[in-house]
Amino acid sequence: MLKMTNVTKKFGELTAVNNLSFEVEQGQVFGIAGPNGAGKSTLYNLITGLYPFEGSVTFNNGEIRGLPPHQIAKLGISRTFQIPQTFPSLSVEKSIGVGSHFGSRDGFEHDYVEKILRFVNLIDKRDSSTGQLNLLDKKMLMIGAALATKPRVLMLDEPMAGSNAKEIMKLMNLVQRINREMGITIIIIEHFMKVLTELTEKLLIIETGTEVCCGNPVDVTSDPRVIECYLGGNND
Amino acid sequence: MEHKRIAKLLAVIWSIVAVLPLFFGSTNFIMHILIMCLIWSVVASCWDLIMGFAGIFSFGQVAFFVIGAYASAIITAKFGIPPIFAVFLAGVIAAGIGILVGLPCLKLKGAYIALVTFAVHMILEPVLKGGIGRAIGTGGSRGILTIQPMNIFGYTFTSSEPVPYFYLMLFVAVICSGIILAVIKSHWGTAFLALKDAEEFASCLGVSAFKYKLMVFALTSFLTGVIGGFYAHYVGMLSTRMLGIDLFVTLMVILVIGGVGKFPGAIIGAFITIAINEMLSPLGSFRPITLGAMVVILVLLLPDGIVGMFEKIFLKKKKVRSLN
Ligand SMILES: Nc1ncnc2c1ncn2[C@@H]1O[C@H](COP(=O)(O)OP(=O)(O)OP(=O)(O)O)[C@@H](O)[C@H]1O
Ligand SMILES: [Mg+2]
Repeated sequence: MLKMTNVTKKFGELTAVNNLSFEVEQGQVFGIAGPNGAGKSTLYNLITGLYPFEGSVTFNNGEIRGLPPHQIAKLGISRTFQIPQTFPSLSVEKSIGVGSHFGSRDGFEHDYVEKILRFVNLIDKRDSSTGQLNLLDKKMLMIGAALATKPRVLMLDEPMAGSNAKEIMKLMNLVQRINREMGITIIIIEHFMKVLTELTEKLLIIETGTEVCCGNPVDVTSDPRVIECYLGGNND
Repeated sequence: MEHKRIAKLLAVIWSIVAVLPLFFGSTNFIMHILIMCLIWSVVASCWDLIMGFAGIFSFGQVAFFVIGAYASAIITAKFGIPPIFAVFLAGVIAAGIGILVGLPCLKLKGAYIALVTFAVHMILEPVLKGGIGRAIGTGGSRGILTIQPMNIFGYTFTSSEPVPYFYLMLFVAVICSGIILAVIKSHWGTAFLALKDAEEFASCLGVSAFKYKLMVFALTSFLTGVIGGFYAHYVGMLSTRMLGIDLFVTLMVILVIGGVGKFPGAIIGAFITIAINEMLSPLGSFRPITLGAMVVILVLLLPDGIVGMFEKIFLKKKKVRSLN
């Protein structure tokens, strides 16, 4: 469904993503992990059209490299950001409305926004300014706005970071519901190996922009190269 | 501010302004100042829309105003087009240049946009005065000395009888503020705010930064160009003196007093600033310094301008009431 071929991104001297190739299948929960600075977030920025790069990314067999971010969003690729981005000038409801109005192929649908507000548990805060939300609600809002675009793929960038055990349970449950109930393919970047082994069907480990290994999460986490890359690098 | 509140505030402001000729109608000097207030209120509102609301630091507003003024004057003189149509063509020309200026700004952020747009302001004077300017009919450094007065359905507006022109300008200002309110209320306004707050996230949600940023450039320079045209046909002559620092600073003071991003604060700001400016005129060469000092003090005391101040008072009252 979403296929990278020889994707490379250089920032001057630094190669942030180095000749990566992999494919995410329809309906999958696909995990990406690797030490800090491995190039995970950069990879998202490439897929969503924020940075130019070398190589090819196809979505349902159509090349999307070179398309502007808003067109990629309209094709059905949606994402959240590692550092929560919100719209302090807009209310919670309006923020989710942005996704529905601008990103959905069906255009703005009031009922759908309503449904999403309930789904991400923000219905009581619909009129709040997004600046006033706590970290978890900000993340929920980002997920809600992304879902409002009616995506085919949702890419989450470290959604569990900074959350306590209870919140992690909640978020994991939410991710599973998005995947199973809504039928949305999920790509998730995460540091918590436990989360990844429980959630994902396929796991890609990268280090300094290069693939270390890719496959079934149980096999991947017991792979000596992965253990070495995690113990040798930052272990968080 | 809520859209309903803006609409109400606009209604109050324009009703008060509409009755002013009852008191000052016989004093041409004051009517002239009021007409200027109306004109600057439109320019300042447009500036506020692009800078305060959309968060694009465009410093080209005076340039678009001057472009509109010159364009309308030249179009009427060269092609014999009636002024009332010429002002719209002038708006279209200003919008075209606005889009051209907006294009490089799409790749830039914050202060760099200020630099690029202000560069347009800076190069406009030599262009108007130089060979290119003279070739298209700007009159070089002498300027344009005779501009056809505004004429609608055979009625000619003259500056010796300012009350009719005042109402014409009021009509134009009401329309412009209505357009700005409609834009703020519509999905355009939402797109501007989303792009201002978090451009990456907004574009990943399907908002086209390209389209909406160019739109705000086009719209604000169009309205500014049109009002520039009305200005030209009112004062009857033009020179590049408008591109001096005076007018630019005055507009800034208007925005600061009204409150940046606090539409329709800019309209209130225009009336207060122009009035104060006139009252300070006995100070002669000390006027700009006094005005400058006022800006500094105001920014420190009223960071959100008059409207921001009222909002705070209003909110406090509400809180006190809900506490009781
Ligand atoms: N816009 C940019 N300009 C220059 N260098 C960048 C840019 N974005 C990322 N980098 C660099 O690319 C490398 C990969 O960064 P990236 O944010 O993708 O890592 P990551 O895997 O997401 O790390 P983390 O786990 O800390 O989020 C880092 O060395 C980073 O400094
Ligand atoms: Mg990252």
